[in-house]
Amino acid sequence: MENISNNHEVIMIGAGPTALTAAIYTTREDIETLLFERGAIGGLAAVTDHIDNYPGFPDGVDGLVLADSMRKQAERFGAKIELGEVTAIAKDKKGIKLTTTSGDMHCKALLIATGSDYKKIGVPGEQEYYARGVHYCATCDGAFYRDKKIVVVGGGNSAAQEAVFLTRFASHIDMLVRADHFRASDVLQDEVAKHKDKITVHFNTTTDEIVGEDGKVLKVIGTDKTTGKKKDFETDGVFIFAGLNPNTQFLNGTGIELDAIGLIKTNDDLMTNIDGVFAAGDVRHGATMQIASATGEGATVALRIREYLEGHKVINE
Amino acid sequence: MVKNITIFTTNTCAYCVMVKKYLTNKGVSYEEVNLDQNPERQAEAQRLSGALTVPVTVVTHQDDSQDVIVGFNLGRLAPAVS
Repeated sequence: MENISNNHEVIMIGAGPTALTAAIYTTREDIETLLFERGAIGGLAAVTDHIDNYPGFPDGVDGLVLADSMRKQAERFGAKIELGEVTAIAKDKKGIKLTTTSGDMHCKALLIATGSDYKKIGVPGEQEYYARGVHYCATCDGAFYRDKKIVVVGGGNSAAQEAVFLTRFASHIDMLVRADHFRASDVLQDEVAKHKDKITVHFNTTTDEIVGEDGKVLKVIGTDKTTGKKKDFETDGVFIFAGLNPNTQFLNGTGIELDAIGLIKTNDDLMTNIDGVFAAGDVRHGATMQIASATGEGATVALRIREYLEGHKVINE
Repeated sequence: MVKNITIFTTNTCAYCVMVKKYLTNKGVSYEEVNLDQNPERQAEAQRLSGALTVPVTVVTHQDDSQDVIVGFNLGRLAPAVS
């Protein structure tokens, strides 16, 4: 395995669309750049079945394909991707110090682009049956549900997209949507409607408990908010796509300022309250959680990092 | 010492790609069982891992003891193949 040095111009934590785009820009400027990724290169985009709203792909693109294309493009210009984890960030005389699974490292500028993961909804049974009937990744785990019944929790784009994907496997899908309408785009709502032979949508329905026996999920108990009555949904598995949680737990104790839900606060130049530490993409307060905006922020933050490294005073517009 | 490694994967699983990439970077060879192509082996993956998910990486050591790693878990995968 290639040994990596301990001193870098730029380190990026995460290798999703934001960091990969930023790395394309920095490396094309000959700024040496190392990315750390503890999960999937491409982030949530990589685990998304199909992406229809990213420009340049008139027929849409599979998430894995898009992620791999971004990786190749960043690596073509010299970006290095280390599979490992950053566990601590501090400043010292040599710059920004990172404690990582590959040893201690220093950099002149740091980009935090760790994105978000699907949120746990905190109902009884969710933790108990995790990966044994409760899932957050349809492209990883859907194949285990051939000709079986599934419950999908959520009404946004991810829930709709992944419910449609799961029709490849499942005999039937009950989609539990807490609100009285979808948050998913009209296009995805139409896709769900096209699969009405397999997908039944239950609006105004909360997900209250996941019940199983002998290590196997048997049903989801929900509540019909319009009547207040409990309702059972017999199922073999539950896929949850009900909002996102920022990946910022590792920043506890670093002094980097977060908002109430854990997103990183930045100024207009995408710099955090710590000099030389930038944040962009889904992990940033104000992010719109779209791949297109993530790549846009990646380009912007790369330019800000370049200005920072050049020692220019960045003037807020 | 590692005797052999088997990875259970599917076509669409991004974390499967990461496990394969990690092992390839380390110069470690492995056998891949794609469950989309070999659905009859799903039960085997489930029995080994106790989970309904991929990737499942089974590292068999020279003494025939096994490490079974669910997901792309570097904290477990790295020491198992070192």
